[in-house]
Amino acid sequence: MIPALADVLQRPDIWRGDAIVVSPAPTLSSGFAELDAELPGGGWPCGQLIELLQQHEATGELTLLIPLLARLTRRGQTVVLVAPPHRVNAPAWAGAGVKLDFLRLLFPQKPSDFLWASLAALRCPEVAATLMWIDVRIANSLRRIHLAAGEGGGCAFLFRPLSAATEASPAPLRIQLETAAGTLRVVLLKRRGPPARRPFELVLPRPAIYPHELPHALAGGPPPVPGQRHSLVA
Amino acid sequence: MLWLAVLPQFPANATPSWPELAFRLGRYSPRVNLLSAGAGALRLELASSLRLFGGLEPLLERIRDDLAELCPDSIWAVAVTPLAALWIARGQPGTICPDQATTRSVLMKIALSALDLSPEIALRLTSFGLRRLGEVLVLPRASLGARLGQPFVLDLARALGEIEDPQTWFLFPERFDQNLELPAPVEAAPVLMFAARRLIAALSGWLVARNAAVCEIDWIITHGSGQQTILPLRFSRAVYAAPRIERVLKESLERLILAAPALGLRLIAEHSEVRDAQSAVLFDGMPAGGEALAELMDRLVARLGVNGVQGLRCHPDYRPEFASRPALGKTVATPAAKSGTDGETEMALPRHPSRPLWLIDPPEALRDYAGKPQHDGPLRLLSGPERIESGWWDGQEVRRDYFVAVDRHARWLWVFRDPRPGGGWFLQGLFS
Repeated sequence: MIPALADVLQRPDIWRGDAIVVSPAPTLSSGFAELDAELPGGGWPCGQLIELLQQHEATGELTLLIPLLARLTRRGQTVVLVAPPHRVNAPAWAGAGVKLDFLRLLFPQKPSDFLWASLAALRCPEVAATLMWIDVRIANSLRRIHLAAGEGGGCAFLFRPLSAATEASPAPLRIQLETAAGTLRVVLLKRRGPPARRPFELVLPRPAIYPHELPHALAGGPPPVPGQRHSLVA
Repeated sequence: MLWLAVLPQFPANATPSWPELAFRLGRYSPRVNLLSAGAGALRLELASSLRLFGGLEPLLERIRDDLAELCPDSIWAVAVTPLAALWIARGQPGTICPDQATTRSVLMKIALSALDLSPEIALRLTSFGLRRLGEVLVLPRASLGARLGQPFVLDLARALGEIEDPQTWFLFPERFDQNLELPAPVEAAPVLMFAARRLIAALSGWLVARNAAVCEIDWIITHGSGQQTILPLRFSRAVYAAPRIERVLKESLERLILAAPALGLRLIAEHSEVRDAQSAVLFDGMPAGGEALAELMDRLVARLGVNGVQGLRCHPDYRPEFASRPALGKTVATPAAKSGTDGETEMALPRHPSRPLWLIDPPEALRDYAGKPQHDGPLRLLSGPERIESGWWDGQEVRRDYFVAVDRHARWLWVFRDPRPGGGWFLQGLFS
């Protein structure tokens, strides 16, 4: 190979089609080795929009992010939640290692404030991660969110319904999440680098053991007897 | 010493406000001398501010911009003594004499009429056939003193810097209170921003001159006939920079709806505190630690309201709905709360979280079919029951058996059964 060409190929913004791109943006480990191995740069990219798409909520999307949030808040970095869809259960978050002092919840009321609050949080260089549950209808909004994330340099996670997967998006990383039997199935819809070969499953910390003998047939079984204490399966 | 003398020409339709001008220029030097009695001049000592603003020319540039906004036709001059600056401003406006020699040579040229002498002395000097100050300065001082009186000779010596000329400084008051009449009634709150900017510039100058910062300020919008709107602004940490205050006010004005057209605007700062010593920023656009976050939170509170921005804290209560509480008001964690030591240590996650990350509030009632809770199909109960019984003392008693359940989509739910009459199954949490 010509030496000049070799030099060019070393540049971080040159991507060879057969390799996962070495992301020029800094990344933060997700805390899940299998996921890090598939993400360009080996973790969640900073300063770029990350879309998490799911058919139903509560597939395990928060548990997936908790290791990152715990690490950031324990370093004294601020994490902002924009329009969380449910009440945040403080003891559970604290128990998972998140330092609540560095968590900020935003509750916009007016429709125009949802995007405004998200952009304001994303642009702030001292917000390490922004999680958004906002309805992005206007085509330009995604682009603005992505650019704002680039200005602030923090992690930007946008939760969207799976129906949005077919729409075009400026987000360099789009991940579909779905439940599998007791695990979280991760489908990398879009990433910088070669397309992901196949979905993979992550084992998340869960409060009990999943009953594999009965994956979906949940109907039968005797009703639990109140008062009788089952041992919490460890 | 280097003195700037300004003779402001207040626009005809605006009320001249000497304090406002003093506050505004207080940004550049806390040593302001007001000569409003008759002379109508303001003097600013610049020598101590030259380094901060990068030299005389950039400093004058900024002062000229400020003057252009407040009183566009003002005349000014710079000289090494306060009296010389005043005389040169009148005689040769716009002259900059940065040293003793230039000041002297310019003084030699100016007309005696610029000295604002008493009519009696002016008449005598004219009768001597003297027109310019230079012609006076070459005469022997002793005989001048004998003919025209000692005060005149002393003034000459002061202007030349031969003797000291101590000045009384303008005292920046303890409490900031300035108002502004609007040129026309304003109907839309965001338009007030233009007038507010002027008051903020004055406030900022007042703060800089006093080396102070404010945590709260009050805007009073007057609508005439005694009607007024009070718009308080609170900051999560003490502020002094004008752009910072402007950005927060802008968000507040965006959501304000005026009850009646505004006729005037008043800005009050009751309390100020000593500003933290902070070194200048190393890189442009990179504010000192926590400053960007504090500003973000102030803007968010201004736009979303006090309840729109919340922190979170645990409250010791067994009932899940009471165990999380919003932490209002404390929007910025104190730097002391940052723990540097355990920051990098990777914490092992509890393998089995027993509490869900999301709470459904209020709990969603579930249908009960053949003794099994239903949520988009039957639920499979995996662990439990865990009895929570609490709250008999505050009238919100609960008695519940909690279970971890999995639904048809393999999602993990937290449900409870209320065994009391009229109870039933409820969904209270999502292990998201």
